[in-house]
Amino acid sequence: MSEKSGIYPRWLWQAFALPGVVWLILLFLVPFYAVIGVAFGGVDPIFLIPVPAWNPLDWSAEAVIQTLSGFLPGGDYWAVFWRTTLYVAVALALCLLVGYPVAYYISRHARRTKSILLALLVLPFWVSYLMRMLAWVNLFAPSGYVNDFLAWSHILPDPPDWLNGNPVSVVLALVYGYIPYLILPLLAALDRIDKSLLEAARDLGASPARAFLHVTLPLSMTGVLGASVIIALPMFGDYYTPNIISGSPTTSMLGNQIDLFFHGGPQPQIGASLTLVLSLFLAVLMTYYMYSVARSTREVRDE
Amino acid sequence: MSEAVIARPVRVPSRGFGRRLRDWIANPWGRPRFLVLITWVYVISSLAPVVIAIQFSFNDGRSLTAWQGWGGARWYWEDPVNSVWHDPALQHALIQSLKLAGLDMLIATPLGVMLAIGLARWRGRAASASNFLMLFPLVTPEIVMGVSLSLAFLNVFTFIEPSTTAQMLGHVTFSLSYVVVIVRGRLFSIGRQYEEAAADLGATPWETLRLVLLPLLMPAVFSSLMIVFAISIDDFVISQWLSCGADCDTIPIRIYSATRAAPLPSINALASIMVYFTLAAVGISYLVFRFMTRGERPKGGEAGRGMVSQMGAFDV
Amino acid sequence: MAPALSRLAAADDAPMGPGGIPLARPDKPVTLPLWEDPIKSGLEPETDGTFTVFNYSDYIDKALVEEFGKQHKVKIQITTFDSMDQCITRLATKAVRADVTNITPDRLAQAVAGKLIKPVNPDYVPNLKKNVWPSLHSPFYDQESRYTVPYTVYTTGIGWRNDKVKEDIAGLANPWSIFWNSQAYKGYVGVLDDSREALVMAMLYREFYDINTEDPAAINKALDDLKALIPICNPKVNITEYQTLPEGTSWLHHCWSGDLLGGVFSYLPEGTDPSVLSYWAPARGKGPIQNDCWAISASTKKPVLAHLWLDYIIDNTVATDNFLNFNGYQPPMVSITPEKLVAEGRIPENLKTAVMGPDDFGPGALQEMTLTPKGQALWQSAYAKFVSGA
Repeated sequence: MSEKSGIYPRWLWQAFALPGVVWLILLFLVPFYAVIGVAFGGVDPIFLIPVPAWNPLDWSAEAVIQTLSGFLPGGDYWAVFWRTTLYVAVALALCLLVGYPVAYYISRHARRTKSILLALLVLPFWVSYLMRMLAWVNLFAPSGYVNDFLAWSHILPDPPDWLNGNPVSVVLALVYGYIPYLILPLLAALDRIDKSLLEAARDLGASPARAFLHVTLPLSMTGVLGASVIIALPMFGDYYTPNIISGSPTTSMLGNQIDLFFHGGPQPQIGASLTLVLSLFLAVLMTYYMYSVARSTREVRDE
Repeated sequence: MSEAVIARPVRVPSRGFGRRLRDWIANPWGRPRFLVLITWVYVISSLAPVVIAIQFSFNDGRSLTAWQGWGGARWYWEDPVNSVWHDPALQHALIQSLKLAGLDMLIATPLGVMLAIGLARWRGRAASASNFLMLFPLVTPEIVMGVSLSLAFLNVFTFIEPSTTAQMLGHVTFSLSYVVVIVRGRLFSIGRQYEEAAADLGATPWETLRLVLLPLLMPAVFSSLMIVFAISIDDFVISQWLSCGADCDTIPIRIYSATRAAPLPSINALASIMVYFTLAAVGISYLVFRFMTRGERPKGGEAGRGMVSQMGAFDV
Repeated sequence: MAPALSRLAAADDAPMGPGGIPLARPDKPVTLPLWEDPIKSGLEPETDGTFTVFNYSDYIDKALVEEFGKQHKVKIQITTFDSMDQCITRLATKAVRADVTNITPDRLAQAVAGKLIKPVNPDYVPNLKKNVWPSLHSPFYDQESRYTVPYTVYTTGIGWRNDKVKEDIAGLANPWSIFWNSQAYKGYVGVLDDSREALVMAMLYREFYDINTEDPAAINKALDDLKALIPICNPKVNITEYQTLPEGTSWLHHCWSGDLLGGVFSYLPEGTDPSVLSYWAPARGKGPIQNDCWAISASTKKPVLAHLWLDYIIDNTVATDNFLNFNGYQPPMVSITPEKLVAEGRIPENLKTAVMGPDDFGPGALQEMTLTPKGQALWQSAYAKFVSGA
């Protein structure tokens, strides 16, 4: 795009951006710095409440080091960290296993039904996450439809208690909750693949399967990664899904520990450190996502 | 499912099952029966629970798992104690949710539109940094934002206590980026030629902005309003971390505490009301969006797609 | 505080709490120092403006608060917090300018040392001597009631559905052992989501009654016992028993006495007889028996009216209404006895055990009280390990 500055005064765009940028600085950057300040801060001797250290020279790394050491093998957060990672990984894999074929079908094969399918696909997107969890809880309750069906059909004559600390239910609930957020970007990525490339592959004698493996799949990898990041990030911070579906210590996730240190006792600086460690851990994923968005934005802008 | 899996064999009766199975195994992707199956199973299983939950909001009994007959509007307004209309706590949650979503729409949309225009056209290092900053809220897990905002209100902006104001500030902060991404997509797709033409014809900068750019942005502004509404009314984490207790309860907070304890169908009714509101908002926005972009797209059916892809935040 | 002292926690001489105030224990009463003189007697209450009540949410009947406002021609505002930590933080950072605040005894040393609450002139609070149990006229945590009046009293015990749980829990030699023998109720067992209460339960199970211990060995032992529950009954950890027990979605729950009554008042499904619910609490000295208080916030501009609030809250009618029409948590009023409540049909007979009497307090009672910062960290870290399923 050419740099014509003739129409508008030079300062205008800065002025437009200013309120939003100030808002984000005050309510995003400053709060995040408050987490750092509390994590590296001290404690008031009387009230035992955190006294944030704003100046890095005053930082005391005690709480952060203590928290970090908890992530070492055998540490306080070792088990919960690996459980969280495992849940997210399995849920993500299941999401992809179901989501990719669905997105692929809609993007490539659905013709007459495409609009309807799209509408149905977007629909759960618009139904609140917690409403869908409520629906899930109703269905999987001991006397709910699912167990009735399993018992009636003799698939499982003695159906399990899905909601009483069952890790399978937690992972399935995560899949159910987050999969719509995966399918849509995947669909967009698949839609963007240039169809002429596929036709070329077919013309050169590739079977549909080979064409899929060698053209569609590699070309959709960026989309797969991006979509995975989009759902992995919130899953890592989730605490309400395990609480609703299980509520038992055996399925607690990292988010539950953060919640505990803020709402259940006198050590919010540990909670702040945990938040910080979680953010650092997720920074790789976040950076990847932001980098790819920035790149695609630049491409559009410079077209 | 019916069309692809059941109807087809009737139309082609000569093919044996074994043959078809072999074909399928040899090439499951060619005729995508497998894909048809998985897609429809997914679509149905993603919606059926919600439909059943809505069904139970009309249950005649107190159970959420056993259907006891059609109870009509019992849990909506007929029950004198426990219906949404007569339970002040549920009603308050509904109002609080709508209040937050409304305020969020009114504040985040103009702020985001201005930020999008500014960021799309302002060049330089500060602009790149701001662009980067704008993307952060999209990728930050909500619990991190909840923690940081609550710590900020506790330690920095101490004049803001946990309250509707705090919740509103939080909602705007995470909605802002969505607006920017949506509006920016539109800005790029309309380009600059209209404005340049207006300027060539002698329009002042102010006139160009008001009479050319703004009307062209209206579809994006409208989608932004709707999406802000939808994500705000769906939000649980930020609302909870900045909550002041019962007075700050929103519908998701109510659903959350109900699912952990022992809910009545009135909680389904409340959640269903939220579904109705959101679907109405989406429906209206779809129609308006279609109306606003008429002439731009040859096929009207594409409008829904347009809206989906407008959610560029999810479009990597 | 000298660091050497905290290491002596298990030793005989009590370690110091915040601001050099000794840690109060039922057998080691503490007289809180006066950081300023109470207001003079005989002043007229302030009128006009707003009177701010700082409290947990849903912990007082709004109608009664409005009534107080009407009597004294002030506008009432109820500001809420969701934990005592938040209460202290918001008072300490002056983020909230309350007139009166709810407070638990274990926070009094902090609140007095940090000058967050004002001394009380007893002349304005005649109801304390007139209506409240004598055992709380000069409680161990606040001798001479210099800063507080009691609000609610509650025991920590076991609540269960006797249509599901077959054992006669109250008749067991060690009722707490039911949790460690609850294989049959797996998935329907709950433990209070509270770092102190959960670990204390495990200590009581082992008949260990030093529930304010800071001995790491004792805390770890309790943690091990709690962890042992996971394979036995996979307990849920929450504080929703006041709903789940009456609704039947939990069968055996570690709970507070007020939960059962509140549950019967508000959550019992139509057609369910309250007699399916039972509650057992340990005798004095064998389990926590605790109370919450009201105090005057140091930021008040209406000190006389704030005194009248303390008196209002322990008025017989007000306290009884708040208890039976709203709260489910019992106020320590002489006029309220389990026998009378049952006779009047205000509570079901089988839940008589959820109401207690004046003799439950006093020396020899157990109460979870202030710990040193180090002790608090020990308790919380142990609890975090339990709920992380480590």
